[in-house]
Amino acid sequence: MSIALFILRRVGRGLLTILFAVTVTFLLLRLLPGDPALAVASPNMTDEARAALLTQYGLDQPLFVQYFLYLGELLRGNLGRSFTQSIPVIDVLMQRLPWTILLTVTSLVLTVVIGIPLGVLAASHKNRFLDRLVQVFGVTGQSLFVPSVGIVLLFVFGLNLRWFPIGGAYDDAVYGMEWYGSVLSHLVLPVISLTLIQLGSYVLTMRATLIEALGEDYITLAKAKGVPPRTVLWKHAVRNAMLPAITLIGLQLGFVVGGAVLTETVFAYPGIGRGIYEAVTQLDFAVLQGAFLLLAVTVVVANMLTDIAYGLLDPRVRTS
Amino acid sequence: MTAPIFDTELKPVLVDPAADDGRRASQQTWHAFRRQPLGMASLTILALLVLITVIAPLLAPYPASYGTDVLQPPSAEHWFGTDSLGRDVYAEVIWGTQQSVIVALAASAIAIVFGTLVAVVGAYVPKLDAVIGVVVDLTLSLPVLPLMILVAALVGPSTTTIILVVAAFSWPEVTRLVRSQALAVVKLPYVDAARLMTRRPTWILGRHVIPAVTPVIVVSVVVTASRAVLSAAGLAFLGLGDPTTWSWGRILYEAQQSGAMVSAWWLTLYPSLAILALVLSATLFAIAYNDARNPRSNER
Repeated sequence: MSIALFILRRVGRGLLTILFAVTVTFLLLRLLPGDPALAVASPNMTDEARAALLTQYGLDQPLFVQYFLYLGELLRGNLGRSFTQSIPVIDVLMQRLPWTILLTVTSLVLTVVIGIPLGVLAASHKNRFLDRLVQVFGVTGQSLFVPSVGIVLLFVFGLNLRWFPIGGAYDDAVYGMEWYGSVLSHLVLPVISLTLIQLGSYVLTMRATLIEALGEDYITLAKAKGVPPRTVLWKHAVRNAMLPAITLIGLQLGFVVGGAVLTETVFAYPGIGRGIYEAVTQLDFAVLQGAFLLLAVTVVVANMLTDIAYGLLDPRVRTS
Repeated sequence: MTAPIFDTELKPVLVDPAADDGRRASQQTWHAFRRQPLGMASLTILALLVLITVIAPLLAPYPASYGTDVLQPPSAEHWFGTDSLGRDVYAEVIWGTQQSVIVALAASAIAIVFGTLVAVVGAYVPKLDAVIGVVVDLTLSLPVLPLMILVAALVGPSTTTIILVVAAFSWPEVTRLVRSQALAVVKLPYVDAARLMTRRPTWILGRHVIPAVTPVIVVSVVVTASRAVLSAAGLAFLGLGDPTTWSWGRILYEAQQSGAMVSAWWLTLYPSLAILALVLSATLFAIAYNDARNPRSNER
């Protein structure tokens, strides 16, 4: 498959996923029991204001027409207005998106940086003590409840040891380098919790694919040629086992975003997740809807970009 | 909130489970399973949690009345301490176990039945399968928790809502697992032979395909149930739990609301341990079951 066709296919797939997310959201808002007007109009409005809003959003039209009106509004970046802050939802979310991206990207990088060596360690000591230890760690990691992890970290490192701040994302009264320092110290605990919950399945996958790679014929050949064991492991086996490990990052993105919502809630971190929690408390459906759509688009685009980047680097991806 | 499941996938069964030695295979699995200490330990914990669910009223009175002993640490009188309204945390955790186990079982039952049906029918009817594959892939690549939150907030929090919402977004994972197995099974010669014997696809599906994918279903039940606990607890932690029933997530949510989440460690420790115990033993059970079924892993 040519590179252009490959990229075109991935972009098309991404667009299809976004359309799917939008359609699901639309159907949920219209077909679930409950007042569809709730999605755009606050329950506290006067009847006239409400009727005007319903006409503006075309909620008096047939479902089919409504769907295209909805798509049209979204294409223009209109996600409705927040009931509680009476500013456009997109503005509320865009203020928060950078914090969520900072949190998730940092923890993704950390997961890869810690996960690959741990997986290699386990696979190269297969069925011995170190391997068992890593497996116990991996299985436990898969079973963690994000808020529990966050609370333990807050209790130990925030409250008792006082190494890191209890919540928020930065200190108010500092400027310049000091401000960046405060951002960093506020980031540590949320990133650790978000990393811990995804590291488990990452390490286990890395271990499994590497064990498989180590059983291949070309490994036996390399060993027979007298290539040093360390080179066989890192240059021959790890490189080939990286492919599923990298794809896993993309597959897990949706899950990680869910984890970020809970992490941000525990740490009062001002990202989209904390925004979702506040919108739930205030029953601000416009923000909830917008937050899901924005997160879905972010995840799909990030997934698409990593896919394309990987396809460019590794020709095997393009043929499958 | 569903993490992709990677360790629990099974190799296709090449023997027709409808053949005579079907029962012997399940007995062999049980023999191998009994020899795994971790598997038996996890099975015991799961059984214990189900027992607590059944006999919850005998273990603790329903934690409804407010007390005067507010935010007391664990003592002989209140084993797990008291919360900010003076209620007994031990009773909350016991009754929370009931709610969590019921939600997990109900949500995973719905997801399993629906997910398996979709997978099996898809494997048998190739035209539908393409559509099903796309829908499953698309759903799995979306951030599911924010979607669950939107639905739960729209419909209004109740135990039924939570069960349905969790089930509605868990079946694609089940379908993905079962489908890969079912696709391998329908190509096997004994299914072709069955096609010569009957023209009723329901008979072939019920007699040959579904029994062949049963091991995957067993693993899916356990894994989906444990994921359902995490999702339900996550929703409750965000304030979308049933406000009239106790759940592990609600204890954590109320701890956060009262501002005592970090300082009163006993409020969060016990429900957290309960969640970890259930999810961890479910995961270990699935791994031990897979090992027991796979004769190759018995040799080492």
